Amino acid sequence: MSGLLEIRNLSKSFDATKVINDFSMEVVEGTICCLVGPNGAGKTTTMDLITGRIKPTSGKVFFANDDITAKHEHLIARAGIGRKFQVPAVLRDMSVQQNLEVAFSRQTNPFRNLFKFRKAGLKDKLDEVATLAGLTGRLKERAGILSHGETQWLEIGMVLMQEPRLLLMDEPIAGMTEGEAEKTAQIFKDLRKSATLLVVEHDMGFVREIADVVVVMHMGSLLAQGTIQQIEADRRVRDVYLGEQEAA
Amino acid sequence: MGNLYYNKTAQWAVYVVFFAALGVVPLMVSDSFLLNQFATYGVYGMLALSLSLCWGFGGILNLGQGIAFGLGAYGMAMTMQMQSQTESNPIPPFMLNNSLESLPMLWQPFQSTTLGLILAVAAPTLFCAVFGGIMFRARVSGPFFAIMTLAMLSAFYTIILDRQAYTGGVNGLTPPGSFQFGDFEIDPYSPAAYWVVFGFLMGATFLTKLITQSSFGLVTQAIRDDAERVRFLGYSVAGYETVIYTISGLIAAVAGCCWVMLVQYVSPAQMDVSFSLSIVIWAAIGGRHSLLGSILGAFIIQGAQSYLGDTFLATWLLILGGFFIVVVRFLPNGLASLVEKAFGLFERRDPTSSPAPDGGRPLPAE
Ligand SMILES: Nc1ncnc2c1ncn2[C@@H]1O[C@H](COP(=O)(O)OP(=O)(O)OP(=O)(O)O)[C@@H](O)[C@H]1O
Ligand SMILES: [Mg+2]
Repeated sequence: MSGLLEIRNLSKSFDATKVINDFSMEVVEGTICCLVGPNGAGKTTTMDLITGRIKPTSGKVFFANDDITAKHEHLIARAGIGRKFQVPAVLRDMSVQQNLEVAFSRQTNPFRNLFKFRKAGLKDKLDEVATLAGLTGRLKERAGILSHGETQWLEIGMVLMQEPRLLLMDEPIAGMTEGEAEKTAQIFKDLRKSATLLVVEHDMGFVREIADVVVVMHMGSLLAQGTIQQIEADRRVRDVYLGEQEAA
Repeated sequence: MGNLYYNKTAQWAVYVVFFAALGVVPLMVSDSFLLNQFATYGVYGMLALSLSLCWGFGGILNLGQGIAFGLGAYGMAMTMQMQSQTESNPIPPFMLNNSLESLPMLWQPFQSTTLGLILAVAAPTLFCAVFGGIMFRARVSGPFFAIMTLAMLSAFYTIILDRQAYTGGVNGLTPPGSFQFGDFEIDPYSPAAYWVVFGFLMGATFLTKLITQSSFGLVTQAIRDDAERVRFLGYSVAGYETVIYTISGLIAAVAGCCWVMLVQYVSPAQMDVSFSLSIVIWAAIGGRHSLLGSILGAFIIQGAQSYLGDTFLATWLLILGGFFIVVVRFLPNGLASLVEKAFGLFERRDPTSSPAPDGGRPLPAE
């Protein structure tokens, strides 16, 4: 079976520096894949390339067997890819509830939305996600005043509101307490029933907890791929990444 | 209960009161010249409203709103001009002076009033859709878009000035008769003309208000907040920006038609940079985030200009400029924010209200 997401021989250079170098990987439907690697390995850049934020120098990205390479961001999102950014990006001047409502984007056509005042299914979904994200009591608050942890939760909530087939999560538990991280792990594992996840995370405890497959990136290339046990036993990974983590 | 300023029911109630007040004006004013003047304020109000939608609500600063207004005005003037031409006298006098022997292609559709009216509104709207579409797709935004609209406005101004045989050049067009709609003649000094403008202003205001409260409005607000983020939610930012810019242009075009109906005159001055800038000033002083504030801004500034402008002939622009600077400096969200602040004080004294109950800064259109 081929993957829901397939990255083939992707390369990206900024001026003369090669940031992604002939990188290939795939994510199988219904699994959680963790993408790890040292700072500057190119993990966020890979997500930028998947979501159309930047265009690759060469190589291709396939989603559900469609070539989505360098398509516009909104078309890739509509195809079913939702993304949480490394630096949490929420709509700061709008209320928490409005953030979640905008993210509920089943209808994206501007003309259809012109005189639409009630979105079918919004209320149930909003209640469900707000409860899951622990934001029920904060719905009327302006998103800009939330704490870092709450902002993380709001953005995760926004991705859930989008109901994507593939969720890209860039460092989702940064700034969360241990309890919150545990809760996030549970949510992600539950999501696996209906969706697929690609998670970038430095916290190896979290990765161990959720990952079906771990992909290690180093200097823009694939270093290793396998189960968490295989990765932790891998000599090269210990040298470039995990060793450095233990020292830190 | 929150700040009453943001209460949707209260907002609609204020709108109803506002239009009821405008509605009784013709019953109180017997001077037909004054009534005609009030009707032109209604046109300026429509323009301020259109800019409030585009700039205040959509976050797209448009320094060339005169394009849609002017094209609408020219379309209407051409229609009215052709209404006064007869079989024996089929082409407008200024064309004869410019040695044109037959009616140019450009003018032919305006022989039909229906077609003329449709074109007067459709042409500027289509222009906005195409120009906006190209600009927003290329992700031109902020000050760069504002400069492009200014450049476009100057281009139109130059063309209209230059193509004298088709446009009347610097003299513009002065249709000799009032507008005929079917069997009705709409005398610009009659209450009927006032009612037409009143109807369009009210219709446009309610339409705009509904748009700001719809799902479309929510997405537009999100785009103003962080356009880059909104793309990743699946919305075409360019699409939404184009639609809002085009609707704004449509309202301005209708305003242009109404204006010519009232004054029976159009010239390149309506596409002059200073006129488009004054639309921006109305909205800025009234409060661009508030539809009603912007309309009132136009009323106040134009009203003051009519009455004080004669007294302070030379210094009027200085007074206006000074006022503008004071408002921008001390009330960046215009006079409407005074009302917001007043209600805010009221709310703080209300012990039952919870802190920041309305998410701080929700729907900004009043
Ligand atoms: N726009 C850009 N121009 C030039 N270099 C860039 C640009 N964006 C990223 N880079 C470089 O690409 C490399 C990979 O960056 P990326 O953000 O993808 O790393 P990462 O794996 O996400 O790291 P971290 O774990 O710190 O988030 C870095 O060396 C970075 O400096
Ligand atoms: Mg990163």
